[in-house]
Formats: sequence, C-alpha cells, structure tokens
Amino acid sequence: MSVMILEITRANKPMDNTTHFGFKDVDTNDKQGLVRGVFDSVASKYDLMNDVLSFGAHRLWKRYTIASSNVKIGDKVLDIAGGTGDLAIEFRKKVGDSGQVILSDINAAMLGEGRKNLVNKGIFGVDYVQLNAQYLPFESDTFDCISIAFGLRNVTDKDQALREMHRILKPGGCLLILEFSKTDSELLKKFYDFYSFNVMPKLGGIIADDEESYQYLAESIRKHPDQETLKDMVLEAGFGFCEYHNLSGGIVALHKGIKT
Amino acid sequence: MQHFVLEQALNFLIQNGSVNIKPLESKVIRFTLIDSLLEVNFICTNNRIFVTSDLSTPSDVDIKLKPGVFFALFKGEDLTELLRQDKIHIHGDVKTAQLLVDLLSEADIDLEELISHHTGDIIAHEIGKTAKKFKQIAKTSPNPIDALKDGLSELLISPKVSKQYANKNH
Repeated sequence: MSVMILEITRANKPMDNTTHFGFKDVDTNDKQGLVRGVFDSVASKYDLMNDVLSFGAHRLWKRYTIASSNVKIGDKVLDIAGGTGDLAIEFRKKVGDSGQVILSDINAAMLGEGRKNLVNKGIFGVDYVQLNAQYLPFESDTFDCISIAFGLRNVTDKDQALREMHRILKPGGCLLILEFSKTDSELLKKFYDFYSFNVMPKLGGIIADDEESYQYLAESIRKHPDQETLKDMVLEAGFGFCEYHNLSGGIVALHKGIKT
Repeated sequence: MQHFVLEQALNFLIQNGSVNIKPLESKVIRFTLIDSLLEVNFICTNNRIFVTSDLSTPSDVDIKLKPGVFFALFKGEDLTELLRQDKIHIHGDVKTAQLLVDLLSEADIDLEELISHHTGDIIAHEIGKTAKKFKQIAKTSPNPIDALKDGLSELLISPKVSKQYANKNH
C-alpha cells in the first residue's frame, strides 16, 4: 500500500469573487478552509452519521453508483472526495490486482479515516492521495473511471474541477457524480426541508457534537446546482454525453458523463 | 430500470469474454422501439457499452423497429429478411447494426445472479424470473414491453399486490 500526500492548494491564485458556504457568501479563497473545518470536525463520526441521517439509504445509492460504473478488471479508478472509502472498497474488488484504485480527499482527517477503514476491512492495494479536485495531479487520459460522491458541492470552482476530471479520463472513460439534488415532489420537499433544517442539525449535535456542520450540510445541499444545471455543466466541461438518474425521488441524483 | 438492466447484461457478456465489441468501438447506435418508451443510444467505447437516454449527440447508426420485430430478432429471425420485408429501418452502416443485434440476442444471461448484489435477493430473483420469461412473453403478449414494464413496476413499487407474492403465506 502506498501513500502519497500531494497538497495542491494554489491559494495564491488571484480570485476576486465570492462564493457560497451554505447560505453565507464568503470569499472564494476562504471556502476551502471552511469546508476543511467542517470535515475535520465530523470525520470520526462520518459513517455513523451517514447511516443515521439517510436511514442507511446512502449504502444503496453507492451500490447503484458502483453498478453503473461498468468498471472491470484492470481498470484505473480515481475516487475523489472518497472520504471513508465506501466506493473505493467496491472498486478495488472490481478492478482486481491488475487494476488500480486511488482513494483521494482534500481533507487529511477524512483520508486518514478512509485508510483506517480499508485496513480494518483487510482491503489492500489502494493508493491514497490528498488532493484538491480543481488541480488533479495526474497525466491526461489516465483513468477509466472517476467517481465523486457527495463531494462536488463542497468544491469551490466546480467547473474547473469538472474540466480537470475530463482531462485525466481516458477517451471513453466514465465520470460518476453522486450528489444531493432537487426533488420535484412537493410533499417530499416539505418533509425533506423540515428534516434537513430541524432534525439533521439536532442529530448532528447529539451524535457528533457538531450542530453547525450539519446545518452547513443542509444549506450546501440547497445551494448545489439542480439535475439539469449540473448536466449542462458536465457537458460544458467537455464530456460528450451526460445523463442523470434520480434516486429516492430526486433527493439524490447520479450523473454519468462519458468522455468521447 | 430498462437501461440499467440492459447495460449490465451487455457489459457482463463483454467482461466474461462472451462477445467481442471491438468492431463497434467508438460507434454510437440509436435504438428505437416504435410505439414504446424505449429510445436509447448505445455508446460503444473503451471496450464497454453505455446505454443512455441522452440523445443529444448524433448517432452513427439508427435502428428503428416495432417491439414485435425486436422479439422476432430475439427468436432468431434473420435481420436481412426483416430488412427486406421493411419491418426494420436502419440508417447508417447495416454491418454495425447487425453486430449490435447479434449482441442483444446474446444477452440471454442469468440476470438474477447479476443484479442480486444491487437489489436484494428476493427482488433480484423475481426480476430474474421475469427476464428469463422475456422471450415467452413475446410469444403471447401483443405488447410485451408494456407487459414486462407493468410487471416490474408492480413488483418493485408495490410488491404486496404483485401476483408473485400472492401465495406468500402458503
């Protein structure tokens, strides 16, 4: 098992815009640090909180993502914002010893949790890279598949990140974006809003001792582009095809882009 | 669900070396079942097939046919003969179309085993049984796609009213 730490922040890049951090407008240069603070805080309880908050549904969403990847033996896969490594474990099984899986995250604490999780489960042969999705330290045309699950909404410049993903995918490679999205059902929306803003932060306070981070989670979901907007962004980044599938009534959507 | 099952089935065949899709590399084939909801692109790339409903990109070959003709192909009817009878419309390279049709007719695999990892064993078992009956349905139903779709919808959305569970307490 190899470990690479590539901290590429390019914080000196001039940026004079603001961006959102939940419902707040913040300086673009500050968002990365703020998001890092959130995940430093929740890393140790991340899996438990996912299970509680989604009633276990996140496991089904991830299974569907893996199944949709069409990854096979010998493939090279990059899991961005891979956190505790749920997807990386399944990708590792699919690519076999002749393939390569890289579990990456911008947050060292999350990556550490992921590494610990995989080792505890006896999963070896995965590489770990700390990286920023906007500046991927890989050669062009490298990967058969790139996944990013519940990570894109935390990226400051999503368009730049999508362009980078497109660059490092092989022609014919597949990008999978699993992310919270928008539901069309008014009834579900009402329930979901109540749950997100009233129950989730409280549970975050009780279980992870961090109500604020889960308030950010709810807010960041609302600020994330809807299904059609994200599809357009993927196509704009250079992908020849993109389609999405709503899961759980659109609360979550899986976007699949193919580099032609 | 149709896209997903079809894509999984075809890639299962490719991964197991049952079929060679190299001649289809980089081809986009639009497949339309007239009078049904199925209109998809088969994107053949990187030695795998993606089945997508995103039809915004031009295709290399268009195949249009009615569900009944589709099942006739499944039952082994000759593509050239169906073309001659004007029952199937192909715009583009007929050889490429033939390769895809051959591939689809090969897709008679154990879907139950394939999808059990994703859906839970009971539902996978029922879908698998339904898929295995695919060709039988074609012989008896005037609109087999609808019959299959209705059956799956009932099973997945409201399994308690499904006939598959009618004798669950016996």
